[in-house]
Amino acid sequence: MSADSIRSPWFWLTALALALLALFVLYPLLSIIGGSFSGEGPSGWAQLVSTSKYREAVLNTLILASSVTVICTLIGVPLAYVTARYSFRGKALIALLPLITLVIPEVIAAQTWLMMLGNNGLITKFLREFGIRLPSFYGWFGLITSMSFIYYTYVYIGTVAAIGKFDVQLEEAAQSLGTPPGRARMKVMLPVILPAILASALLVFTMTVGNFAISIILSHGLPLLSVSTYQAAVSEGTTSITMQSTLASVSVLIVMSVLFLNRWIVSRGRYEIVQGRGARPVPLEGLRGLMVAAPAGLVVAISLLPLVTIALGAFTKARGPVMQWGSWTFENLERVFVTAPGPLLNSLLYAGIATFISIAFSAVVSYLVVKKPNVLTTWVDYISAVPLALSGTVLGVGLLAAFNGGWLPLTGTSAIIVMAYVVRRMPFGMRNAQATLHNIPNSIEEASISLGSPPVRTFFRVVLPIMLPAVASATILTWTTTVAELSASILVYSGGRETLPIQIFRLIDSGLMAYASAYGLVLVAVILIPVILANRLFGIDVFSSK
Amino acid sequence: MSIDISNLTVTYGAEDVISGLSLAIPEGSFFTLLGPSGCGKTTLLRTIAGFVKASGGSIRFSGRDVTKLPPHRRDIGMVFQDYALFPDKTVFQNVAYGLHARGERGESVARKVGEALERVGLGHLGSRHPAALSGGQRQRVALARAMVIKPQVLLMDEPLSNLDAKLRIQIRETITELQREANITTVFVTHDQEEALSMSNLIGVMNRGAVEQLGTPQEIYARPRTGYVADFVGAANRLPVRLRPAKAPLVEASLGDVAILATDAMAAPAPEGLLILRPEDLKISAAPQEALQSMPATVRGRQYLGSKTSYRLDLGEALQVVAELHGPGHDGFAPGDRVSLGIDSALARVIAA
Repeated sequence: MSADSIRSPWFWLTALALALLALFVLYPLLSIIGGSFSGEGPSGWAQLVSTSKYREAVLNTLILASSVTVICTLIGVPLAYVTARYSFRGKALIALLPLITLVIPEVIAAQTWLMMLGNNGLITKFLREFGIRLPSFYGWFGLITSMSFIYYTYVYIGTVAAIGKFDVQLEEAAQSLGTPPGRARMKVMLPVILPAILASALLVFTMTVGNFAISIILSHGLPLLSVSTYQAAVSEGTTSITMQSTLASVSVLIVMSVLFLNRWIVSRGRYEIVQGRGARPVPLEGLRGLMVAAPAGLVVAISLLPLVTIALGAFTKARGPVMQWGSWTFENLERVFVTAPGPLLNSLLYAGIATFISIAFSAVVSYLVVKKPNVLTTWVDYISAVPLALSGTVLGVGLLAAFNGGWLPLTGTSAIIVMAYVVRRMPFGMRNAQATLHNIPNSIEEASISLGSPPVRTFFRVVLPIMLPAVASATILTWTTTVAELSASILVYSGGRETLPIQIFRLIDSGLMAYASAYGLVLVAVILIPVILANRLFGIDVFSSK
Repeated sequence: MSIDISNLTVTYGAEDVISGLSLAIPEGSFFTLLGPSGCGKTTLLRTIAGFVKASGGSIRFSGRDVTKLPPHRRDIGMVFQDYALFPDKTVFQNVAYGLHARGERGESVARKVGEALERVGLGHLGSRHPAALSGGQRQRVALARAMVIKPQVLLMDEPLSNLDAKLRIQIRETITELQREANITTVFVTHDQEEALSMSNLIGVMNRGAVEQLGTPQEIYARPRTGYVADFVGAANRLPVRLRPAKAPLVEASLGDVAILATDAMAAPAPEGLLILRPEDLKISAAPQEALQSMPATVRGRQYLGSKTSYRLDLGEALQVVAELHGPGHDGFAPGDRVSLGIDSALARVIAA
């Protein structure tokens, strides 16, 4: 390293970023790993092997993740294929899919599935009148169903993108060489898009492993890793952290190995499509159109069900846990805004601060990584990706372990909730900002400098304004996911600092579905309004950066 | 403002991209760095600008050492290959940017920007954004933006390479006119020999991080000192020859079993050299011509190019040359024809091999 780079302000900014990442990402992670070997008596790993409940939790989690992954692939890939290659009635509706996953927090999805198919669910009761008894929605049935209908969109989005980039001329070349159209597609297109399908399937796998909201609401006695970790954290508290750390470490190990597998697949499957001509969708009419549109429409309808359910539930009278469907009231919403507005205000405050910090940090650090690389930036880049391997529950356990007492006692403060939000969502902001910066040629900055503007001023006067549209859409995306965050914040929050998702979770836990629906409806509005405003006022398409 | 570069070394990693280069660019000159991609010309330009750090040697603007000065304090104007217009700012704001960076405000900025845009013929487009301009218009905005700050040195990095052929010729003239009016010392980087010859009053032909020949366009074209320069600037047949002394300034050059008289352009006498023959200096006729030295040849191939025809000729013994004919009947020979190749000894030059 030359002396010049040490003297530059960029170097010191990088060093500062690295220090923050080490403190808030690496230190909690190391605390978890260290914690698993701490404590009196047998180490956490010995208890893990000897206790059947923990062994089952690991096994069940792997089975659940595998099943959900397979089902998501079976739904997502065909859906992507028909929407990319054919046009039919109602296709525009399917374009809404990414929006649906985005605006429905997992806790609400789980709640609405219960309201439909739970023991007192609408559909359950309706079918019971005809003598049809559904299996209990708690356990495998509910877990697999509800997770699959949320996570298949990731496979869908990944596959649509891959098919869109595929050069149809390759298919035509195969046909010109004597392969019939159907076989040509299988033999030429499938290998090219397979890495993308596998990568999105593995993403679903890791998300299922890390899933907390649906797991805890629907598992009911079925041991799962994330739920066991949460329960261990709640029962152990912060004085002895052996078991929560061990279980969190297992989750990190599983996700890490899947991420490495993913990297390996992506690196092997890097087919460069040199020149591309996208396929023109073939219109499907009549019966064939209906045969495609009907199942696709059904999938979308099921995905939309939660929105309809909470909208109805929010205005439905309830006596305790019993919903009085058909009689309406504003009482539930009154509670959200008037009687107990704390969760709403907390959510707005914490998510607002966290979004601001996360976006500012991502913009500056991405700029350093992409435009001012030095010896430290590689490390900054690596460490800022580490949260991708930490589920919310793991991060919560880590933050508790790291900042409980000691020289930086954050436990019990609002700051630790904000910190949990920032660390969880920052990698996505980083990825977005880096992609944007890669598209800004270096010559733009050099032009500004050559005209007499010093480097730091050039960043603010030239680079930042160009990044602004992308930063704005990243801000909204970060906001939508931060406001909905539950799994890390539920571990680190303290009394009086409940957020909307935490409040909804507690109400579901007490069976107060009408109140939960009202908070849920407000949460969806809090997520959706900025997305709509950005689109209408500034023409920002939040999903273009996805 | 003159530019003096002495003993400049630029290192990327372990590799010297430029090593020990010295060059003097006189005040007010239009100096072109000409060479193929990877020869170091852009690196040299960016070192003059300050974007690349010199690892040794010095750069002086009119005697003042700027080697350690950061680029924003060198008072340069720079035109980039991709124009590097700020996409979020209007044409007016782009051109005003450098004036604002210099602390100028208000009326004088508006006046100067207006004049600069008028000068490149874009006075009416000030409120547009770069995305709404054609390639040629963007180029002009980039030019106005670099010139409006009245820089000490104007640096241009292949500014015409993204334009189509007709536009390129138009803008060449705009650039040279502006440069002459403002009398700004200009360094222009290109790989296009036609650009270099038509625009510059001084050319440095670069090869592997060094200036291989420095001279006026006429010197570079008519009197190349190395085979590399001869081949890169214009086309040239380069034939290895054995030499025998003849009456100065001529030398006898043997090509297999024929010998011709050629102009001696070698620094020191040597037994072997390189005979440089420009295709357009060669004549082809059915029978030997009186004023020229002749040798028998066979037409092997021909390309009809409209204003001229290019012939590939066999001189026997695996020796081939390319000759171009202009004027009426230039396409009058066909492959297989036996012809006479005429060479003017004043236009045939022998340089060191």
